[in-house]
Amino acid sequence: MAAVHLEHICKRYRGTAQPAVDDVSLAVRDGEFMVLLGPSGCGKSTTLRMIAGLESISDGRLTIGGRQVNDVPAKDRDIAMVFQSYALYPHMTVADNLAFGLRRRKVPAAEIDARVRSAASVLGLGALLERKPYALSGGQRQRVALGRAIVREPKAFLFDEPLSNLDAALRVRTRNELVRLHKQLDATMIYVTHDQVEAMTMGQRICVMNNGRVAQTGKPLDVYRSPADAFVARFLGNPPMNVLKATVAARDGRPAARLAGGWLPLSRWDGAGLPDGDVLVGMRPEEVVLQEPRTTAEGLRGTVCGVEPLGAETLLLVELEGGAGEVTARVHRDVALAVGDEVGLGVAEAGIYLFDAATEQAIAAKEEQPA
Amino acid sequence: MRSLPRSAAAGSFARSLSRLLRSGGLMAAVVLYTLYSALPFAWVGTMSVRTTSEISAAHFAWPETFHWDKFRTAWVDSNFAQYFWNSTVVVVSAVAIVTLLGAAAAHCLARYNFRGNRLVYFVLFSSIVFPPQIILISLFQVLVEYDLYNSRLGLTLVYVSLQLPLTVYLLEGFFARIPQDLFDAAKMDGYSDLEIFWRIVVPVGMPAIATTVILNFIQLWNEFLFAVVLLSDQDARTLPLGIRAYMGDYFQDIGMIATGMMIAVIPVVVIYAFFSEKLIQGMTAGAVK
Repeated sequence: MAAVHLEHICKRYRGTAQPAVDDVSLAVRDGEFMVLLGPSGCGKSTTLRMIAGLESISDGRLTIGGRQVNDVPAKDRDIAMVFQSYALYPHMTVADNLAFGLRRRKVPAAEIDARVRSAASVLGLGALLERKPYALSGGQRQRVALGRAIVREPKAFLFDEPLSNLDAALRVRTRNELVRLHKQLDATMIYVTHDQVEAMTMGQRICVMNNGRVAQTGKPLDVYRSPADAFVARFLGNPPMNVLKATVAARDGRPAARLAGGWLPLSRWDGAGLPDGDVLVGMRPEEVVLQEPRTTAEGLRGTVCGVEPLGAETLLLVELEGGAGEVTARVHRDVALAVGDEVGLGVAEAGIYLFDAATEQAIAAKEEQPA
Repeated sequence: MRSLPRSAAAGSFARSLSRLLRSGGLMAAVVLYTLYSALPFAWVGTMSVRTTSEISAAHFAWPETFHWDKFRTAWVDSNFAQYFWNSTVVVVSAVAIVTLLGAAAAHCLARYNFRGNRLVYFVLFSSIVFPPQIILISLFQVLVEYDLYNSRLGLTLVYVSLQLPLTVYLLEGFFARIPQDLFDAAKMDGYSDLEIFWRIVVPVGMPAIATTVILNFIQLWNEFLFAVVLLSDQDARTLPLGIRAYMGDYFQDIGMIATGMMIAVIPVVVIYAFFSEKLIQGMTAGAVK
């Protein structure tokens, strides 16, 4: 296995002003499971294809195992890729699909046979070796695609949204299998997805991308708990984080955020470090608690405009007073509220996030600032 | 036992009758169309073993005596063996070249984003629109100039140029639907562009390729206009010209024409039987995801 380093990688297409990938730097450690996460069009697949050698690199430096590979053809990078559509050769059997790449590399027939049987055994494909792809289920095809990568014994594995075409139950099972495989092979894996559940559960580290740039890189829970900007804050979490416009003001001598629908305390922040005027206040739905609407000094007030019972819990959509926006709260399943009811909402101070209104960058609280 | 209420019974009868009419109607349409297509062929078949005088006396009669020697007469005495060989050489060569060049060109147009890609495609496609007859005289002059007039090679090259645009057009549409991921995977497996064409595109595109082989073969095997203009020697004739020889200004040897047609149709039936499964696959490819 090998480490993969991207240094200021850019990708520009002819005729477009905005680069598809803009100054992306990322260090994937040897044996690490790194997830590239982001919405459609953010540049994650393009980045992956540049690592694979399927797209040229406009600027920057890419190294695999310490060797610069910018101009090295895909076949010589010793990398295997699993595609979203599996990319199985439809006219070949499973065994031939697994062996195809090895035959090109003039691997001896006996070794090809051994590797194919070993991969088939690991992935439960032993009984399917003589079948053609059209006779396989989606999950089986996915495992053949995986097997084709494994037999290559590459320095790194690349995955381009491999679970997108599977149903929900199979996706969960295959996700766990991939995590197990990663531990078993101790392989360097770079995994592209737009699904945050996959990112949070599979990645040792995640790299959130937006508009061709890296928004934040870190361990999944660290990124979830300390988002670098409002985009990352909204992207991670389901339902997404509530982000509202507010104004910084003083209340009882302490910094606070004033919204049309109420007040939120900002004691965790150093008042001197807060911007004058507008800020963005964030709170995750699970941090929002219900309180009496009329008797609260701090908190928000609004009217229920939607109730979504999910079984294990209920999602409340609340329209805040004064047009301050809409808040989604995750409440106990037995909460009996209906559309039109007045509610009060509170957030523990530890659950409040602050972002600059202009740049949307996170404003660090006192305890998060470097000493 | 309780019987159905009158209204329910009437509804059930109406549904059964409707089903019968629908399936019967469909069957009737299929039978009619089969007769419409097959009867003329069967008629030519019967005429091929009857003499011209027997046919003149009774056009549609079943043969009283089967004159199989007519086939020997056509094959040996009327030189059909030579015409058959000429047709085989010209058409098989032309179809092979068109298929090879057409598939390669279609793959390049479908897969590679080079400057002028759409211009090349448009030029090829627009040549399908024009009737081939308008280039006949020019072709004649070109072949004479390059000493290719009255030769199998000249006719082969003309047939290639006639069929190439349609072949490229048909194959380009099919090849463009082959997922790019297949090519990316093959590239990562270490295969070159040419190897990918032979090992991936041709096998995967075989239904479409078989379709063009059948269509080109049928079209060129029956081609008459260019052959009659560009071939003058009797020994260079193709089968359609050989059949034409039985048609005089005042008399047409209907019996021998029918015999010649039956000889000419045998390879077409064989080719179709061999490739038909692929043809149906090619026609329905992509119809259901």
